[in-house]
Formats: sequence, C-alpha cells, structure tokens
Amino acid sequence: MSIGYRISASALALGLAASAAFAQTDDFWRQAGAQFEGVTLHGVTESTPPSNYIKDVLAPQFTELTGINVEIETTSWDQMYDKAIKDMEAGTGIYDMVYIEQDIIYSYLSRDFLVNISQALADKPELKAPNFDEANFTTFADYFRDEDGGLYGIPMEAFIKLYLYRTDLFADPEVQAAFKEQFGRDLAPAKTHEEYTQIAEFFTKLGQDRGEDLWGTTAQAHTGHPASWYEYVESVAPTFGVYNWGINAENNFAATVENGGSMNSPEAKEALRWWLHLRDIAPPESSASTWSETATTFAAGRVAQGLIYGENAAWIASDENQSRVVGNVGVALPPVAEGVMEAAESGEGYIGYYDGGAFGIPVSSQNQDAAVLFAQFIAQPEVQAQWAVAAPRITVSSTYDAPEVQELNTSLGGYFDLLRDQGKLFAGAPPFPFHAQLREAISPIFYQILTGDIEPDAGLDQMAAKTEEELTALGYRK
Amino acid sequence: MRSNKLGWMLLAPTLVILGLFGVVPFIYVLWVSFHQWNPFAANPEMIANGADNFRQLVFDTGFLSSLSVTLAFVFFAVTSELILGYALAQAFMKDFPGKAFFRTIHTLPLIMAPIIVGSIWKLMTTPSIGIIPDLLDSWFGYDLNIGQSAVAAFVTTVVMDIWHWTPLVTLSLIAALVALPADPFEQAQIDGASKRQIFWHITLPMIRPAIVATVFIRLMDALRVVDEVLMLTGGGPGSATRYIGVHIFREVFPRTNYGYGSAVSVVVLYITILVCWLLYVGLIAPRNNKA
Repeated sequence: MSIGYRISASALALGLAASAAFAQTDDFWRQAGAQFEGVTLHGVTESTPPSNYIKDVLAPQFTELTGINVEIETTSWDQMYDKAIKDMEAGTGIYDMVYIEQDIIYSYLSRDFLVNISQALADKPELKAPNFDEANFTTFADYFRDEDGGLYGIPMEAFIKLYLYRTDLFADPEVQAAFKEQFGRDLAPAKTHEEYTQIAEFFTKLGQDRGEDLWGTTAQAHTGHPASWYEYVESVAPTFGVYNWGINAENNFAATVENGGSMNSPEAKEALRWWLHLRDIAPPESSASTWSETATTFAAGRVAQGLIYGENAAWIASDENQSRVVGNVGVALPPVAEGVMEAAESGEGYIGYYDGGAFGIPVSSQNQDAAVLFAQFIAQPEVQAQWAVAAPRITVSSTYDAPEVQELNTSLGGYFDLLRDQGKLFAGAPPFPFHAQLREAISPIFYQILTGDIEPDAGLDQMAAKTEEELTALGYRK
Repeated sequence: MRSNKLGWMLLAPTLVILGLFGVVPFIYVLWVSFHQWNPFAANPEMIANGADNFRQLVFDTGFLSSLSVTLAFVFFAVTSELILGYALAQAFMKDFPGKAFFRTIHTLPLIMAPIIVGSIWKLMTTPSIGIIPDLLDSWFGYDLNIGQSAVAAFVTTVVMDIWHWTPLVTLSLIAALVALPADPFEQAQIDGASKRQIFWHITLPMIRPAIVATVFIRLMDALRVVDEVLMLTGGGPGSATRYIGVHIFREVFPRTNYGYGSAVSVVVLYITILVCWLLYVGLIAPRNNKA
C-alpha cells in the first residue's frame, strides 16, 4: 500500500469520523432544543467583535439547530452593566445571559447573581452537550470559577494588553542608525522602562523634526474616563511591581504603605511619574483617549509603540479599511522593572492585564435550561477557529492549532503565540467585589493628578487614604 | 355633581400615569435617601441612617464643586440662549431670501438626541482630529485641548448646549412675537417712541410670559444635563465639567451608592424648585402685584 494511498484512506476515515461526530452533536442540539421550542433567550453584552460574532453568526446557527430563538443586545460598556445589574438586582428576569467582564465576576458572585453552570449540568446531565468539556478551556476560565471549582461563566473572549510596535519604523535603516548614534544601542522593542522612554522620546522628536504626525507612544490618559485609571493600575503599576491596585487584601485591604498596602509606595509613585511623562510626549488626543482611541491612534500610524488591548490587535494588523499600519505591526511583552519578570514567572506577580469576559446565566433567568444549552453551544471547539479569525480571542486551547488561526497568527506578528506561551505572565483584575465602587470613589483624585491640579506623589497618598476610607465605609476594611 | 364625576373620570388616566411614573418613584427615591444602601457593600441590605446622607453632602467637596460648576453652566448657557434666541427670532420675523431654509436648518439640532450631540462635539473637538481645534489653531494659533484645559472644557460644554437648545428658545419667541397685536406698536411709532423704548416698554412686557416659560424649561433642562456632557468630556478634565447630573449618574450607577445618590437627587430637585421659585418671584410676582 503506497504512502499516498494510506494518507488518503486515513484522511477519508478521519473525515467520516468527524462527519459522524458532527451529525451526533447536531442530533443532540435538535433533540435537546425540541423541549424549548418557541422559547426566546435574551442576552445583553458589550458591543465588541466577539459579541457581534455571537449575535450575527452563532445565535442564528443555534436557532436553526434547536428552534430556540436568541436575541442578543449589544450595547456600550456602561449601558451593558447598567442593564444587567439592574435586571439581576431587581430579579426581573429580562436577561437569560449577561456578559461578565473578568473584573466584575467577584461582585456578581458576592451577590449570588449567577447560575453555577457546572452544577446545573451535573443536576441535569441530559442537557450536557457531547462535545462540551470544561477541560477544553484555557486557564482563563479559572477566573470564572468559585473556590469549589464551579464554573459561573462560559469564557468567550480573552486578550492580553500587549506592547505593539511599528515594525516598519523599527526596521528603517535610517531610523536605526540615528537611534544607535544617540543611544549607543540597537533599536529594538524595549525590555525596560528606561528603554521604552528613550524610544518614545526618540520618535516624538523624530516626528517633530520631520514635521510628521508621529509620536513615540500611546497613552490611554482620558481626564474624565476610568480608562486612564485602568491603564495605570492594570498595565503600568504591575510592571513596577505594584500588584492588585496596591491593595493588600490579606492585610485588611490596606492601601497605604503605613498600613501594609502599596498604592502610595515608592514603586507606585515611580510608575505614575513614568507614565505621566509618556503621556506628555504622546499625541495630543491622549488626554481624551480611552481603550478604543489608543487603538485608533496606533492604527492611524501616529505612534511608534504603545500598550494596546489585544482585542484590537487583529484589525490594526490586518484590516486595510481601518488601519494604515497593516503588515507593520509587531508584538512584544511590556517593559518591566528589575525583578518583576522573575516574580511573574514564579507566579508571585504579573506584568500586565489579562482581559476578557464570559457569558453567564442570571439566577433570575426564566429560561435557565435553554440558556445552559446556548452557553455550551458557544463553547464548542468546532466553532472556535472561525470565531477567533473574526475576532482575535481564544478561550479554548485547541483553537491555537487550527490552520486558519495559525495563518492569522503570522499576520499578527505572533500575537497568538504570545497569548499561549506568555499569557501566564499576565493576570486579570484582582478578586475584589468592589471594583466599580472603589474606582468611582478615587478616580476623581486620579483625574486631578492628570490635569496637574494635584502632584502625583501627593495624589497617590490621597488615593491610598481615600481607598481605606471607602473600603471601611463599604464594610470590607475593619 | 355629574359633571364633577365626568371630570374626574376624564382626569383619571392622567392621574394614574402621573402617580405611577412621577409620584411613586419620587416617594421611593425620598425613602431610599434616608438609607445607607450599596448592593456591593459587605452588607448589601438597606440600612436606615436618618439624615446622615444629607448631613454628609453638606461637607462633600465633590458635591459642592459639582453644584457650583452646574450653576455657572446654567447661568452662562441659559442667558446666552435667551439673548441669541431672541436675536434670531427677531431676524426670522423679517423677510429675507432663503428664510424658510435657514429656519429649518437652524432647528435641526433640536431633533438630535443629546448623546448624538455629545458624539458630534467630541468628534469636532478632539485634538488632532477635530475640526474646531484645527481651525482655532490655523486662525488664532490657539491650542484647544478640552482634555487638558478646564476652562476650555467648560466653555465647550456651554457652547454645545447653546448650539443644541437655542433653536427651542427661538421657536418659542417667534411664536410669542407673531402673536403680538400690531396696534400698540403703531401707536408707539405715532407717538415717536424709539426702537429701544418700544423694546423695553412694549415688546418685552408683552412677551414676558413666553420668556419666563422658556427660561423655566431651559433652566430645568440645563440643571439636569448629563448625556451630552458625559459623552463629550466624561465630566473632566478632573471635575471641571462634572455637572450635578453627571455626579448623580456616577454615584448611582457605576458606584451603586443608591442611598447617597438618592439624597443628592432630592437636594437637586429642591434646588431646582428653589431657583424656579426665585425666578417666579423676580419676574412674575411683581407684575401680578401691580395688576
């Protein structure tokens, strides 16, 4: 038997097996859905590419197979939370599925808002899809588990906030020569804060000298939007070794140095001063930039490097309708202070933000069983690759190896490799049930630091003190 | 007696709707304002705390700062809208080529949702991208950055509000001017009154009810401005445009500080009523007394 014949036969056998498996799962969805025919599931989520894919592609497929209608409402981040929380708080049962961003899961769990999906499937094994297995998920799913391991959300998007740089600028011989002459080293993605600052200053000056709209770095530094606060606490402070917003949960939620926290530690102050300097040499729109606008700034070719949320990496690198830097995007790990990388590798720290979200089922839902079916449907390994291509998110491990994902990985400068291999160095938001409450209490001080009304060091002292005051008022700090 | 019953029957739907959507929510907010309630606190239950919330807001610098910038915003926005609206109304009272076209164009902002107005102004004012900073830089060398300059942000929100709401004032005053009888004006002209005298002694007194009604409406609207400012500046830079509506939004929604947020809402309602009453006393009551 020739090798070619054997390969063909194997391929045919695999194809038949796969077809049989698909047919089996299709049968499951039809049979499981039959009892819910006519039911309409309502979901609310943030309007992002992964959510839009659910709305436009996965929901119609699910309806076709099961007969269960699905209406997904995609809206702004604020509106999404406003609607979901009001519904769950009042127990009205409007929504059968809600988007849970990683940083709010702890608040939801503390209020018992969500259905334990693991338990629901254990209680009703007839609802369990043959191809659903919690072991399929990447470790990001762990953020949506309680201490007993119960899963409260089906991960549907996961990104890291990474260091993007312009490969065309970094590889330009003229630019390289000028950089080497000035700094005595080769131009390469920064590994330290000092290197990052040098590169940023270099390109900002280059832009000025050439009369071009080019700056050295992005800065997510809106003076009235929480995005700036998040950039500092989640993406900048950790690279200086300040973790969990500088709050020590194990020490009575202390924030001030004198009480055992680190929000106003020397490292935190150094981090803030470093970032404020970058803000000052970033494009002028930075003071009005949130997470979306920094991506737009990068895509417009106005900066040489920046910290960008991974959900934007794909369109920046590949969509010519939206980006002027297609094919010229490189990815790297963010610069860190001495000892931080070692701490991240040993699991004692982290170097940046692992962002993402899941679909959860409110306990107030009137259609929990049908929603459990839908949750499993979007978790199937078979639907993940196309979803990852449409929106660069991976929550199921096998997706990394799909040919179409590998192809996209190349055009993204190895983003998916970075996510798979180095994702462990990043961390989601700390497990606090008071994220938004604390943020809103102290962000006004942070905004005043940004406008220069308060000195950075004094501002961090005020923020740390206010944090302890607020957590005491909320009853978390005794 | 029969007609009385019929009257109540006809009024009933309105009273029910008003009760359900006006009175009941107000009573609920009033009740919540006497409680400490944050569903994401360690104790998520409502805890009665008497007047603590009201006592707290007297010393809350965030609230006081918010209140003062709001009053400044209301003063500048409503005054400008009134003056500009009257000038435009007078202009539209005269015939000129393209009058109907201009009148239609000038009312377009009125039909836009505030959130859209905020988006448009954000696009127009974002540094490096917006047309307004670009023009100001080209013409006057002025670097407009509403993300950095508190004054620039404040002025921009006032201008945005003027752009959005002046047409309402214009339309109200056009309606009032059109309805004025011609006799007093002809009589005044015959008597040799100047234009200024006619304005102060005939036009203004005769359109005063329309002016007061319009100012009431605009005052109440301006005091509760939220959407467009939230979209344009987010309340920043710092707290420069954190008007009271934005402050309440942030307290009640992201911070879920329901008790304290309700107390602030109640106080703002009281302030709104107080300002309107002062306006009434200043503009309407003296006239009624004279009569």
